[in-house]
Amino acid sequence: MLPLVSLTLFLPLAGALLIVCLPQPTARTVHGIGIGTAALTLVGALTMWLEGLNGAGFSQVEELEWMPAIGAAYRVGVDGISLPLVLLSAVMFLVALIYASSLRERPRAYVALVLLLETTAIGTFTALDGILFYVFFEVSLVSMYFMIAGWGHEDRQRAALMFFLYTLLGSLPLLLAILGLYLGSPEPSFDMRAWIADPPLAGAAAMWALIAMLITFAVKIPAVPLHTWLPAAHVQAPTVGSVILAAIMLKFGTYGLVRFALQMTPDAFREAGTVVLVFGVVSAIYGAFAALAQSDLKRLVAYTSINHMGYVIVGVAVAALTLDPSVRAIALDGAVLQMFSHGLVTGALFLLVGMIQERAHSREMGELGGLLKTVPVLGWLFMLAAFASLGLPALAHFPAEFQIFLATLRTVPAAVVVVLGIAIIAGTFLKAIRETFLGETKQQWHGMPDLSGRELLAVVPLLVLTVATGVAPAWVLDVIHRTTVALAL
Amino acid sequence: MMARELTLLIPEIAVLLTAVGALIAEMLRRPRVALGVATLGLLIATGLTIPMIGTDTTVFGGTVRIDSLSIWAKLILLPATVLSLLLARNDIGGTVREGTVYSLMCLATFGALVLAAAGDTMFLVLGTLLASLATFALVAYRATDPATEAAMKFFVFASVAGAVMIFGLSYWFGATGSTLLSDLARVEAMPLAGVLGLVAVLVGLGYKASLVPFHFWAPDAYEGAPLSVAAYLSVVPKVGALFALTQVVRDLPVDSGWPAVIAGLAVLSMTYGYLAALVQDNVIRLLAYSSIAQSGYFLLGIVAVGSSELALPSIILFAGAYAAMNLGAFAVTAVTGRTLNDFTGLGRARPMLGIAMVIFLLSLVGIPPLAGFVGKFLLFAAAIDVQLTWLAVVAIINSVLSLGVYLRIIVPMYRGGEAASVAVGKWPGVVVLTAFAATFIIGLAAQFFLMTPML
Repeated sequence: MLPLVSLTLFLPLAGALLIVCLPQPTARTVHGIGIGTAALTLVGALTMWLEGLNGAGFSQVEELEWMPAIGAAYRVGVDGISLPLVLLSAVMFLVALIYASSLRERPRAYVALVLLLETTAIGTFTALDGILFYVFFEVSLVSMYFMIAGWGHEDRQRAALMFFLYTLLGSLPLLLAILGLYLGSPEPSFDMRAWIADPPLAGAAAMWALIAMLITFAVKIPAVPLHTWLPAAHVQAPTVGSVILAAIMLKFGTYGLVRFALQMTPDAFREAGTVVLVFGVVSAIYGAFAALAQSDLKRLVAYTSINHMGYVIVGVAVAALTLDPSVRAIALDGAVLQMFSHGLVTGALFLLVGMIQERAHSREMGELGGLLKTVPVLGWLFMLAAFASLGLPALAHFPAEFQIFLATLRTVPAAVVVVLGIAIIAGTFLKAIRETFLGETKQQWHGMPDLSGRELLAVVPLLVLTVATGVAPAWVLDVIHRTTVALAL
Repeated sequence: MMARELTLLIPEIAVLLTAVGALIAEMLRRPRVALGVATLGLLIATGLTIPMIGTDTTVFGGTVRIDSLSIWAKLILLPATVLSLLLARNDIGGTVREGTVYSLMCLATFGALVLAAAGDTMFLVLGTLLASLATFALVAYRATDPATEAAMKFFVFASVAGAVMIFGLSYWFGATGSTLLSDLARVEAMPLAGVLGLVAVLVGLGYKASLVPFHFWAPDAYEGAPLSVAAYLSVVPKVGALFALTQVVRDLPVDSGWPAVIAGLAVLSMTYGYLAALVQDNVIRLLAYSSIAQSGYFLLGIVAVGSSELALPSIILFAGAYAAMNLGAFAVTAVTGRTLNDFTGLGRARPMLGIAMVIFLLSLVGIPPLAGFVGKFLLFAAAIDVQLTWLAVVAIINSVLSLGVYLRIIVPMYRGGEAASVAVGKWPGVVVLTAFAATFIIGLAAQFFLMTPML
C-alpha cells in the first residue's frame, strides 16, 4: 500500500529540491521539471480522489511518530472538506506552472518557490496534527513573501512586507489557540482528530481560543476590516502569485474556520455565531461595493474575492447557529463548494487579467476597451469566467451560493440581505466587460495577439471544471456531503 | 569513590587539558597546532559526553550536578565553541598570539560548563569568574581603542555584578547554613534573605546572560571584540549562565515569588532588546540586541521550572537551536561585513549564502519548521502550562517585532542590483554549512532532545 497522501504532498517539494540542486539548468529544463512534477502531483491527487472516503471521518490517514514526548506526530489524511481542496490545489498549481512557462527572469528560483508553495498548500489541507498544520500554514507565508518581493510589479517590496507582517501577526494567535487546545487535552496531544472528536476546551477558555482563531483566519480569508493587505498584495504580485494567493491561500482561512473554529470549539462558535455572521455579511457586501468602485481590473477581481469569501463565512456561521442537522449540512456543503468554485473561477479570472496585462501593459479599464474584436477568444473566456463569478446558474458559483442562501433563509432570515452582493457583483462585472471588451477598439490595441496554446492550456481546464461543477455539482458535492452530513457539533 | 567522580567529570577534564594543550602550542609559536589541538580536544570531549546521556547524579557531595542540563550544556556548547574557533581562525588568523585566543575560548567554555553544572553557590561564583576572566582578554585582543574601551566597560561591569552576587549569596549562606543549592528550600524561613540572595544571583547571572537591565556591556563589547569573539560571547557564556539560573530556581520554593521576577525580566529583555535592535545600523550591534531579546525567551522556560514538565526540554532545545542559528548569522556577517549596507544585493550575488542567512534569521524569528520555531513553541507551551498565558502573548507580540528587526537585513539582500561578490572563506563556509544543517535538523528531529530523561 503506497502512502498516497504523503507522496502527493512531498512530490512538489522533491521537484523543488531537484531544481535547486541541478547545476546551471536551462529555463526549459526548469519549467519542464516544474510542470512534470505538478502533473504527477495531480495524478496523485486524482488517485486520492478515486480512492475516496470511507465514512464521514478522516480517510487515507498516514501516521509517523515525530515527537511522541509531547504528542506531536506526522499525521495526514483527508475528509470531505479537505479532499476537494487538495484536488483544487493540484489543478491550480499545474495550470499556474503551465502559464508561467514563458518566464525567463530567474526561472529556477521561481519554479522552486511555486513547487514549495504547492507542498505547503496540500500540507495545510491534509495535516491532522496541530503543529504540522501550523508549520505548513507559516511556510506558505514565507514562500509567498519571496514570490511577491522577487517577481511582483512596481511597488512590490512594500506590498510584500505588508502582506508578510499582516499575515504573520495574524497567524500568531492561532499558535496560542493550538497551545491552548494542546494543554487542555486530557491526554496531551496535537492530534486534530482527537480535538475534533472531543473538543478539549470549554467555557471562557474555549471562547478565548475561538477569538484567537477567528483573528488568524479573518486575516487570511480576509474578512473586513482585516482585508487591507489583500488588494495591495494582489495588485503587486505576479500573475501566478495572484492566482495561488486567491485560489488556494485564501482557502487556508476558510478551511481553518471550519476545521479549527467550528469543529474544535463548537459551543463557543455557536455563542459567537451571530457576530461571525455579521462579519460575513459585511464582508460580502463591502467587497461587492468596493469591487464596483475599482477601475483597475486586477483590484476589481481581488475585491470580488472578499465578497465571495464573505459568503463562505456566512455559510459557516449559519452552520454553527442552526440546530437542524440537515440545514447545517446544506450550509456547509455550500460553504465548501464555494471554496472550490471560487478557486477555479477566480484563478481563471486572474490568469485572464494577467494575459491582458501582458499584452496591453495596463490594467486600467478606462485605457482598454473594444478588446473583443482584437482578442475574441480571450474576451469570450473572460466573459464566461465573469459570469461564473457573478453566480450565473449552470456555472460553478451558483450551486454553492444557492445552498448558502437557502440555509441562511431557514436559520437567520434577516441575514439574507447578503444576496444584495450578487446584484452588485453582477453590475461590477457587466461594467468591466463593457469597458474592457465592448465598444470601439482603440487604435493602439489593434494587432494584439490572441491567446497562445500555452495560455489556452492554462485557462481552459479551469473553465471546463467551472462548467462541470455548475451543471453537475454532484461529483464534488457527494464527497463534501459525506462529511458534512455527519458533522456533530 | 574518587574514581567515580573523576570518571563522570572526564569531559570537563578533557576541556581543561585542551586549553592547556592549546596554550603550550602557542608558547611554541605553533598557532595552527593550537587550533588543531583545541578543535580536536573539544570534539573528543563532546564524544566523551555522549555515553553519559541519561545520567542523573551529583559529584563532590552534591556541588556539581551531572544531569540533563549539564550534559546537554556540553553537547551544545562544545560544538558551538569549535565553530567559534573556526570563525576566529578566519578573523584573527596570522596575528601575533593567535593561539591564546583558542586557549582562552576553551577556558571560558570550561567556566560556562561549570556554571551549567553548578549545584552549589560557590560553583556559581567560580563559573562566572572563569568565564568572565577569559572573555575580558578575548574582547581586548585587538588592542585598538574601541577594543580596549569595550573590554574596560565589560570588566568594570562584570566586577561589580560579580561582587554584588557574592555579597547577596552570603545572605543565602547565612539563612540556610549551607552553600548547596539543594538546601535552598530552607530559605523560606527567612524571606528577606531569600529575596536578597535572589536579586544578587539575578544580577550576577543576568549580566552573564545579558538580560535587561544588566545588558549594557553587551553591545559595546560585541562591537569592540573580534567578530568571532562576539559570536562566542553571544552563545557560550550566555547559555552557561541561563542553565545556571535554571539550576538555581529548580531548588527555590515557587511560592517565594521568583517566577514573577523572572517573568518581569523576560518581558523587559525581549521588548527592550528588539526595540533597540530596530534602530541599529551595525549588524553586530543589531545581533547583540537581538541576542539580549533571545535571552528573554529562555526565561519563558525558566519561569516554568519545577511546575511544568515542558520547562527543561524547552530550555535545552532552544539552547541548541539558538546556538546554531546565532552562530550561523554571525558567520554570514563574517563573510559580508558589519553594516546593513554590506548586505545589499547579497541574495543575488551569493544565492546560497543568502538563503542560509534568510534561514538563520527566520529561525531566530521562530518560523516553522526551523529549529527556532520548535524551541520557542515549547517555551510558549511551558509558560502557558504554568498559567502565564499573558507572558506567552507578550513573547508572541515580540516575535512580530523581531520580524521587523530581521527583515531589515533580509529585505536589502534581495533589493538592488550590483553587489560586490564577496568570497566565502573556508572556515566561515564550514560554520555556515554546519549551522545551516543544525538549524534544520534540530527543527525536524526535536524528538531526540525530548527523549532524554528529564529531571
